Amino acid sequence: MGSTTRSSGAAARGGARRGGRHRGPGALAASLAVGALLAAGCATGTGGDGGEAVDYDADAPVGGELVVAGFGTGDEVGAVRLATAEAAMPDVDVQLVEGDLDVQQFLSAVAADDPPDVIGANRDQIGTLAARGAVVPLDACLEGEGVDTSVYRDSALGQLTLDGALYGVPEFNQVQVVMANQQLLDEAGLTLADVDGSSWEAVGAAAEAMAVREDGDLQVIGYDSKLPEFLPLWAQADGVRLLSDDGRTAHLDDPAVVEALTFAADVYARQGGFSAVKANRDAQDFFGAENQFATGVLGAMPFEQWYLNVLDEVSPDAPVVFGTVKTREGEPVAYTAGSAWAIPAGSGNPQAACRLAVTMTATDTWMAAAQARVDAVEADGRRFTGLLTANTEADERIRTELVEPQDLPEPWASGVDAVYAAEDASFSFAANPADAEFTQAWQDAANRVVNGQMEPQESLERAQQEAQAALDAAWAEWDERG
Amino acid sequence: MSAGAGLGGTPGGGVAGGASGTGAVGAAQGDPSAVAAARATGVTGRPPATPSPGAPPARRRRRRWTPGRVAVLAALVAATVVFTYPLVWLVSASFKPRAQVFDNRLVPADPTLANYVEVWQQAPLLLWLGNTVLVTVLAAVAVTVSSSLVAWGFAYFRFPLRGPLFALVLATMMLPGAVTMIPTFLIWNSVGLTDTLVPLWAGNLFGSAFYVFLLRQFFLGLPRETFEAATIDGADNWQLFWRIALPLTKPAVVVTLLFEFQAAWTDLMRPLIYLRSAENFTVPRGLKTLVDTFGAGGEFQWQVVITASVITTVPMVVLFFLGQKHFVQGIATTGSKG
Amino acid sequence: MSAADARPGPATGAGATRAGRSPRPPLSRGARARRRRDTRAALLFISPWVVGFAVFTAWPMLYSAYLSLTDYDVINAPSFVGLDNYRRLADDPDVVLAVGNTLWYAVVQVPLHVLTSLGLALLLERAGGRTAGFFRTAFYLPNMTPPVAVGVLLLLLFNGQSGLVNEVLGWVGVDGPAWTTDPAWVKPGLVLVSLLTTGSSVIILLAALRDVPRELYDAALVDGAGFWRRTLRITVPMISGPLFFVTVIGTISALQAFTEAYTAYFGAGNSTYSNDAALFYSIHLFRTAFEYLQMGYASAMAWALFVVILLVTLVQLRLSRRFVYYEGDQR
Repeated sequence: MGSTTRSSGAAARGGARRGGRHRGPGALAASLAVGALLAAGCATGTGGDGGEAVDYDADAPVGGELVVAGFGTGDEVGAVRLATAEAAMPDVDVQLVEGDLDVQQFLSAVAADDPPDVIGANRDQIGTLAARGAVVPLDACLEGEGVDTSVYRDSALGQLTLDGALYGVPEFNQVQVVMANQQLLDEAGLTLADVDGSSWEAVGAAAEAMAVREDGDLQVIGYDSKLPEFLPLWAQADGVRLLSDDGRTAHLDDPAVVEALTFAADVYARQGGFSAVKANRDAQDFFGAENQFATGVLGAMPFEQWYLNVLDEVSPDAPVVFGTVKTREGEPVAYTAGSAWAIPAGSGNPQAACRLAVTMTATDTWMAAAQARVDAVEADGRRFTGLLTANTEADERIRTELVEPQDLPEPWASGVDAVYAAEDASFSFAANPADAEFTQAWQDAANRVVNGQMEPQESLERAQQEAQAALDAAWAEWDERG
Repeated sequence: MSAGAGLGGTPGGGVAGGASGTGAVGAAQGDPSAVAAARATGVTGRPPATPSPGAPPARRRRRRWTPGRVAVLAALVAATVVFTYPLVWLVSASFKPRAQVFDNRLVPADPTLANYVEVWQQAPLLLWLGNTVLVTVLAAVAVTVSSSLVAWGFAYFRFPLRGPLFALVLATMMLPGAVTMIPTFLIWNSVGLTDTLVPLWAGNLFGSAFYVFLLRQFFLGLPRETFEAATIDGADNWQLFWRIALPLTKPAVVVTLLFEFQAAWTDLMRPLIYLRSAENFTVPRGLKTLVDTFGAGGEFQWQVVITASVITTVPMVVLFFLGQKHFVQGIATTGSKG
Repeated sequence: MSAADARPGPATGAGATRAGRSPRPPLSRGARARRRRDTRAALLFISPWVVGFAVFTAWPMLYSAYLSLTDYDVINAPSFVGLDNYRRLADDPDVVLAVGNTLWYAVVQVPLHVLTSLGLALLLERAGGRTAGFFRTAFYLPNMTPPVAVGVLLLLLFNGQSGLVNEVLGWVGVDGPAWTTDPAWVKPGLVLVSLLTTGSSVIILLAALRDVPRELYDAALVDGAGFWRRTLRITVPMISGPLFFVTVIGTISALQAFTEAYTAYFGAGNSTYSNDAALFYSIHLFRTAFEYLQMGYASAMAWALFVVILLVTLVQLRLSRRFVYYEGDQR
């Protein structure tokens, strides 16, 4: 999820881990006897040891073993960056646990006092991890390594800063653009402007115009408004952010949010309901040559920018067009997501973990990775559609030095323009210690509506109560621990 | 159906039948109260029915192609298609390229082995299979040996508190596994054995109430004179058990082994609880990760999930054909004995 | 419980003989010595269970009871919260939802399961002999499929857009619903896929059917009773024990449904979409404990489940006494 390509998705790709965790049956008898006596031992916590001082120094050599979780090297960008980091710390034995970070398993590893040494996580997961004491503040790390944090994108830092302390080093960025099938638009007499969100009435009408229903099945999805995950986008497009900028107050029952949810759910209703859309979606070959744009079974949808790369690779001739998602005032809008590096409480090698996080996100590293991507796609006869990072310096250089929209054919040129316009207009939620519950609350609200269980108003009121209660409780606990 | 798994699992050893694999009866192994209920139905103690696939039924009817019989056979064939087609579909789909997975054709239009190659590259399946075999064998052997020891202790000897203690054995079957699930996890966690394969089988070293009950029933059916004669010939208690009792109850031992083999192989909940690193996964645990990564929540690469499902399932189908007679006997016995 | 155990019968013959041979009071010296030896040997044999009981049952029960009174996430030390967890249980909408789903599933699935397996067993019994053996094998095959794979099959075969089930329904002119994505159809889909694993119940019922004395049918035939009447009047009463057994086990199994639903609708890949319709109690408990790491609250949920199962079991025992009596009467 945190990467610009799908390659990091394979959670199961194995990878070496710290050896020696297997213990033979010999240890078992003793273990069991001990286990019975551990009534007290079990009841203690294993976390909360993040407070101890660790010396971070950019000039000090680091060594030892470093278990890295939640980072994929399935593409050239990941591979080059990891190689750069390894070169920067030649004495460190880096071991990669590939695949997305499973937060629950990570927490359980922290609880077992056996966490990875450094993790890549989604930025919106960091608040909860910090609140649980599962990751440690990184201010000392960044200061010791001499990093100027102003190069990082503000919205990304905001997602990682709790009470003035920074808990993660931001990595990739993701934004949404609208993607549409030109052929289906033409057939329905529509243009991209009808599906970019600037007019919700037009989007609804376009959904209905492009949808094809046969025998009760939805053969072609006219417009996929991507609920529940893009509710924040639609709310922002209607002028409201779901969470206050201090991360303490939820705005889920704001009339504009109700309006946004009503609109996005109605898009589904006009095509036969969400379950028909999802059933269609589940059967599509999303990453293959027979994807829904190539086969003409999807009119339009907002989606993350990395899908440009996928489309360019698997179906370069699909009749697809791109543009920014627009607010109802017609301004570009996007909701930023992305990944970050964090150091777990109980990390066995915090110095190397810090060095890795800093090296991975340095401007030069990003440039080398982007260059590798350029070389790779050019060798393949494909096009470089940019690389979005949370490092503004790297982002700007990649955009000006490597991306050449003027040389790109359509639709990729306008696609790249749309992506950068979206990034410039993007927003994100402030870090908070209840982000898991907060996310759950608004997703549940949207799910209840698209599934026909509740009306938007009622559903969002319930979500507001749940979210606010969770935020209040988590902040109270946070402030108490202070 | 066979879902009871850890939650309903045997609380005692925590492990044994907990994984419950054989559908309704699987639940019986794993599930405590089921057995008690079975006992309560009053069928306990009836001699085991022993239908074996090839044996002629007690009363053979004259076979004639009456319309009634044709209708019965037609219904059976129809039901068989319903019951076996999903597996056939799965195997067939594993040989189809991604775009044809949902074409529902029996014979793939463009048969390919690419999915098997891909799944092999995407996931350490060999490692997972190895882990699963290890856990399964250890779990099955451990539970069989320990449960027969305990069962023999209760069946042969007379000692103070035998009744209440055996009642306690049965009572533990009534306890939902959920009650002990969390502390059991904390025990393994406190000794640093989470994310290892140990918690998946080591609990079986302490016997499982269901198998103790089952094996004891068989031991009670052995003629006592045999053992008294052997004692006079100088056999000690161990020899009575190991040399005489166990060989005489071989069918029950085989049933225990097979049931637990299946239960351990198919268990998902315990591996979900205990395993974190991909290199420690069992096949079902790995398959769940593949579903999450490549299925509806992830990349929609169903062909990978399908192929991994086939690889997970095939060993069980082979096991069934090898031990078919014992499975059928074991289940029929469970039904009549509890 | 021990009452049933003490009931003399063919299988407990050895115990009975033994009891007869050593009458309680008074014991001869030899008998006393033998009893001591026996006790020592027996304790040795049952020691694995004794240790297992202490470590994996008794202590966990106590500890779980304690945990249910705390707030504990494993990472931080537990904090005592009194009965808060139990209070929270009463008005947790997810618990209400999970209980509702679980009951719905059990109430629909169990009768269908029993009827399906009885129907198949009757068919097999009529087919008889090797034919029955062959089909029985076929019916049992899905039982060997790991539940995870059954969960996968559910997602694929029941896909509302391209699934095989809806394609077949289409042949007979029925527009199949979106089984896997429409909340109203998620549980029916789970029920249907669960019926694939009725094989073991079929085996049990078939074994019972073969034990029904032939003469009863012959007498009924003379009376001119038709198939349905014979089935209802003779077959069902004669196999009431195994039928009850299959029902009870089916109920318990249904109340603890986990793997298929979890595989298809929960886990890392399903965090975004609504899976409310498939949230069974055991899934909710598992997630609370091991995904949200709310060990204290989950312990309270487990104890609530324990109390419910205890009550259900008591009712079952009471009901089943009538069956015991009934069957004894028949034979």
